[in-house]
Amino acid sequence: MQIEQLSAAQIVKRISAGQLSAADCTQHFLDQIRGQNDDNGAFLATCDQQAIIDAQKIDSAIAAGKSLGPLAGLPIAVKDGICTAGVTTTAGSKMLSRFVPPYDATIVSRLQDAGAIVIGKTNMDEFAMGSSNENSAYYPAKNPWNHDHVPGGSSGGSATAVAARMAPVAIGSDTGGSIRQPASFCGITGLKPTYGRVSRYGLIAFASSLDQIGPMTHSAEDCALVMQTLAGHDGNDSTSAQVEVPDYMAAIDGPLKGLKVGICKQHFEEGLGDEVRKNVNDAIEVLKSLGASCVEIELPYTKYGIASYYVIAPCEASSNLSRFDGVRYTNRATAENLEEMYSKTRAEFFGEEVKKRILLGTHALSSGYYDAYYLKASRVRRMIKNDYDAAFESVDLIVGPTVPTTAFKFNQHAADPLAMYLADIYTVAANLSGVPAISVPCGFDSAGLPIGMQLQARRFDEATLLNAAHQYQTQTDWHQRSPQS
Amino acid sequence: MSNLAQDVAKLARIDLPDDEAEATQANLEKVLNYVQQLESVQLPDDIEPFFGAIESVNAIRVDQTQPSFAREEILSNAPDSDGQFYKVPQVFE
Repeated sequence: MQIEQLSAAQIVKRISAGQLSAADCTQHFLDQIRGQNDDNGAFLATCDQQAIIDAQKIDSAIAAGKSLGPLAGLPIAVKDGICTAGVTTTAGSKMLSRFVPPYDATIVSRLQDAGAIVIGKTNMDEFAMGSSNENSAYYPAKNPWNHDHVPGGSSGGSATAVAARMAPVAIGSDTGGSIRQPASFCGITGLKPTYGRVSRYGLIAFASSLDQIGPMTHSAEDCALVMQTLAGHDGNDSTSAQVEVPDYMAAIDGPLKGLKVGICKQHFEEGLGDEVRKNVNDAIEVLKSLGASCVEIELPYTKYGIASYYVIAPCEASSNLSRFDGVRYTNRATAENLEEMYSKTRAEFFGEEVKKRILLGTHALSSGYYDAYYLKASRVRRMIKNDYDAAFESVDLIVGPTVPTTAFKFNQHAADPLAMYLADIYTVAANLSGVPAISVPCGFDSAGLPIGMQLQARRFDEATLLNAAHQYQTQTDWHQRSPQS
Repeated sequence: MSNLAQDVAKLARIDLPDDEAEATQANLEKVLNYVQQLESVQLPDDIEPFFGAIESVNAIRVDQTQPSFAREEILSNAPDSDGQFYKVPQVFE
């Protein structure tokens, strides 16, 4: 089997057993990137030299018989909104075109301590604002299944990298669906952990009450492997929870007998594509055949999820992005005085979507509007959370489509950006309520584009998500398909 | 004549040329009109806002001094500095 077809778990196993050299493996994926990146734009930067040096260290440790980390030699791609010491980190923005972070994000240090090799930084919508990668200030990543179609976003480069076998694992971040929606569009498995499960120290913030970092891989098993390293409290992020991390690899093998699965009828109504509906329903039948029982549930307030999200996220963004003012971060427009420097720098180096969201947030938080927008949206958010709390009193999982459609074409939503916002209709509620959610491949439409099923679970119960997703993948092979094959 | 987009752009410190103001305004209105639906959502009076996805207790840690980043490393990302401080255009006349 070709190296790029191996799962992350298989790569680690082979490297640890001395059957595959870490340096050869890393070189192989760097070659994969070199061969494809001009066509699909998945990466904004690669770490060729450092990656080989890091991989050689793993090989030396193996030769010396030293004990190895759980991800020894595993090449990993990291979304460019996550800080990597000494490696340019742009967040897909011209504002940070030359920004070299002085430190690693906690998850980057953890991955490296576990033996993983960072091979490059993946493309994204600017500051994670977008659902198509069209908002990258550099070039959009393309869907490996069909380059006329978007890979989704904002972690579109990460999804493309994994789907096109340029990296066995990529790290993404998810504020309203930014891991799950591109995972669905590109036919890979993507997990948004519970809010607080994974440290965000070193993640360039978009909307701090919603952002979460998570793994994007071929399989739930690989997500479990990587989550073991990502999860856990971090003293540098006071929002990271002090909740025990279970053994995910052990958890995925359990039987699904007795598992109660909730199906939200409103997520199968108007707006859902027929082929998506059919494939998700087929996937639910597979879960039933594994012993899960299904009941109908209601999440009545989730229909206000997008409206609530497009108040809350821009409000938080307008505050978070105020730090980009021409003083500290690399780029500054020419100006006569201080105020002009702020406004010209921000006008010149922010892209259109980012400016739009800053303006929306600034408006919604301005005097006289706060109650009607931010406060009301946050009260609706409470109702959405209450919906989930009520549902999870009677079910262990909620299952449905990840996205109403398969990947759309570039420029398809240029005239109507709201239509693109609605691509997140099934995913935003997990961010608003904080629950974990995973997207797993469950088929293809007639044009050959992947379809994803979303599973959501109780807060901090990633183990049940991964268990159900893995068991589903023992019965199906959608997650093993490659665009080339 | 100033419109909403121009007023907000001033607050957000984003230069908005006059000839772009109308288009920006139209873009903002599309989203504002959509989120307007929140206004009509009936909620029980006692529903408190939910601002963060976990309502945890304060995370506290031992108050120990640690070395911070090297000044030159931080300033190396600055558009302009004198080696000690960030430099900005004149603030006071």
